[in-house]
Amino acid sequence: MGNKIALLMSRKILILSQAYLETTTDAVCQWLDYYQVPFLRLNGEDLFQWESLDAIPQNEDIAAVWYRRKVFQFPSKYSLKKEHTPTNYTLKRFLIDEFNGLHSLLFHTIDRQKWLNDPVIEDNLNKLHVLMLAKEYGLQIPFTEVVTRKTSVVALLEQHPELIVKPLGECIMVEDENDTKFKMLTVVVNASNLHRMPDQFFPSMVQEKVEKKYEVRAFYLDGAFYSMAIFSQNNQKTKDDFRNYDQERPNRTVPYQLPADVEGKLRKVMQELHFGTGSIDLMVDRHGAYYFLEVNPAGQFGMVSFPCNYYLEKKMAQVLSKAYLYEKEIHQ
Amino acid sequence: MMEFLNIYANCQLVHGANMSLLCDLQLHKFYHIPNDTFEVLQYLKQHSIQDCIAHFGEDNQEAIDSYIHFVVKKEMGFIDDRLLEQLIPIDFQWDRFTPVTNVILEYNERLNYANKFVGDLFDLNVQALEIRCYHTVQLDHLLPLVEMFNDKTLRVIKLILPYDGSISLNDLETVVKKNPRVKSIWIHDAPEHKVEKIFNDTVAVVSLARPINACTACGEISSSYFQSNMELFSESQHYNTCLNRKLSIDYNGYIRNCPSMEQHFGHMEEVELSAVLKDPLLKEYWGIRKDDIDTCRDCEFRHVCTDCRAYLEEPENRYSKPLKCGYSPYTNEWDVWSENPLKQAAMDHYGLRSLVK
Ligand code: SF4
Repeated sequence: MGNKIALLMSRKILILSQAYLETTTDAVCQWLDYYQVPFLRLNGEDLFQWESLDAIPQNEDIAAVWYRRKVFQFPSKYSLKKEHTPTNYTLKRFLIDEFNGLHSLLFHTIDRQKWLNDPVIEDNLNKLHVLMLAKEYGLQIPFTEVVTRKTSVVALLEQHPELIVKPLGECIMVEDENDTKFKMLTVVVNASNLHRMPDQFFPSMVQEKVEKKYEVRAFYLDGAFYSMAIFSQNNQKTKDDFRNYDQERPNRTVPYQLPADVEGKLRKVMQELHFGTGSIDLMVDRHGAYYFLEVNPAGQFGMVSFPCNYYLEKKMAQVLSKAYLYEKEIHQ
Repeated sequence: MMEFLNIYANCQLVHGANMSLLCDLQLHKFYHIPNDTFEVLQYLKQHSIQDCIAHFGEDNQEAIDSYIHFVVKKEMGFIDDRLLEQLIPIDFQWDRFTPVTNVILEYNERLNYANKFVGDLFDLNVQALEIRCYHTVQLDHLLPLVEMFNDKTLRVIKLILPYDGSISLNDLETVVKKNPRVKSIWIHDAPEHKVEKIFNDTVAVVSLARPINACTACGEISSSYFQSNMELFSESQHYNTCLNRKLSIDYNGYIRNCPSMEQHFGHMEEVELSAVLKDPLLKEYWGIRKDDIDTCRDCEFRHVCTDCRAYLEEPENRYSKPLKCGYSPYTNEWDVWSENPLKQAAMDHYGLRSLVK
């Protein structure tokens, strides 16, 4: 009862996240606490407790939405008993779709302009489309093609000494019968390993391999960029993809200022996608040229915030509280 | 071709009276370097390697090359055909989402901690709690206190317990399993100094041969406590690294900035947290930086060292150097602080004589 009245009286920030392994969300929530901005953190896990559709947050109670994550894990009682059966994957997929069917109802019940990022675009982001968009706005992208035959790869290798193969969607983790996990990584194709390639294959995205000097991860928030350069140390293991972390000799991660014209073009891409926030990956080659790689709208910004001392969790809370104060003003 | 040394922004040079420190804040290392090396590295932040050699003289080329080699070998920088202007300096801002980040509690079995003050305090998203037990305690008496914080956002609990032959590593493991917030355990007055790991090697149990039987055991400055990291380095630029946003509940239940400080702010059963936090006296020392403190301001360790404002070399001078530091930045020598004849009067003032043999 008391809760209901409070809800009617003030609008809140809605944070969609997960219950576990979310130090970034935890920190943003604690900053909001500190600023005394009311918020509702809805973890995907909470949906398993809903008794009725009435539990869904109502549009009029929400000032702004930050959509960070869906769910970490379904409650263990819904995990499938017999592992590694052929239908297992289908069933898992079915449960995920069922969950998403409920979760994404929020995208429609809460006004689209209250969302920091347009949730529908975010959930249906297409990597190729984003690359084309970046190119359209004047950003350089690595030469990108989708191919199905070895002969096409041979032809491309005449123009580019090396190519990389990347998923069009997301990298996945695969498990074998012994539960050993394998992470999908970026693979390099060149004249010396071409013989291992079949003549015809599933449509695959290939990109020109840029000789990089360093990578840049730029976190975008409310029009501003907080960028970090990533220097992979003379270390073969991390050369192609800095996500292949090396504990012994970690990459150097330091604050970076992107040139104004690169920022301007990136800003346009973000606006076009209706994203108020996101992580952008770029690469810089030996001559200092910038290559746009991808946008990750739900980017984990802790990995930029801490090494550069940017206080992005605090800045995120400030952006959300601005939205809250604005809403409060117009409703008084 | 001109060559330049780019030093990463998280590798910071700190100049001292006689020597300097190169702090690798990312890899948590630091290197004691001569001031000459400091001068050269500082110069290289603006000039090419060729200019640097011209500036310091051909005679010094070998030395300069060796300094550069050192930085590159330790991966604290790289050589390029220019100084990359996009590699901007770090803004060493410091802030936290709570008015109190750390709490020290001197545990007293006769007190009841399930009160409003403690509840309010931990609602503030306090990050770390240290529970100090000077005297033998029964674990099952202590546990309710540890469990009191289960619904709070507290992240880390450190337990300090006296050595007790009847408590096994297994018992401690049980405590940690039930309370994963307990991230480290110190056992004082133990037969020998050793470090053991429990809970899949994630929690250290450190046995100390010396007793910690009163707050007067605190405040020791030693190079083994130095830390080269972003949190301490940035806080040290603006605030006191011992007292800023800290609060303690002393053995008798009185609220203090730190258990060793003379000033108290009332008893936890009697005062309101909000009133304590509003009291300007609580924050009196929070803004005293290492750069403001005598001697420390000339010390190359000042941003990797934590301060102590409770025991001072000159008790009446709030800007005086910590009493329990034996280092001199002017001679670069470490002495046993308690044997220093100049410190005897201050030791008497704080009643610290009995501590040292
Ligand atoms: S002189 Fe000051 S900064 Fe230097 S080691 Fe001693 S206490 Fe620390």
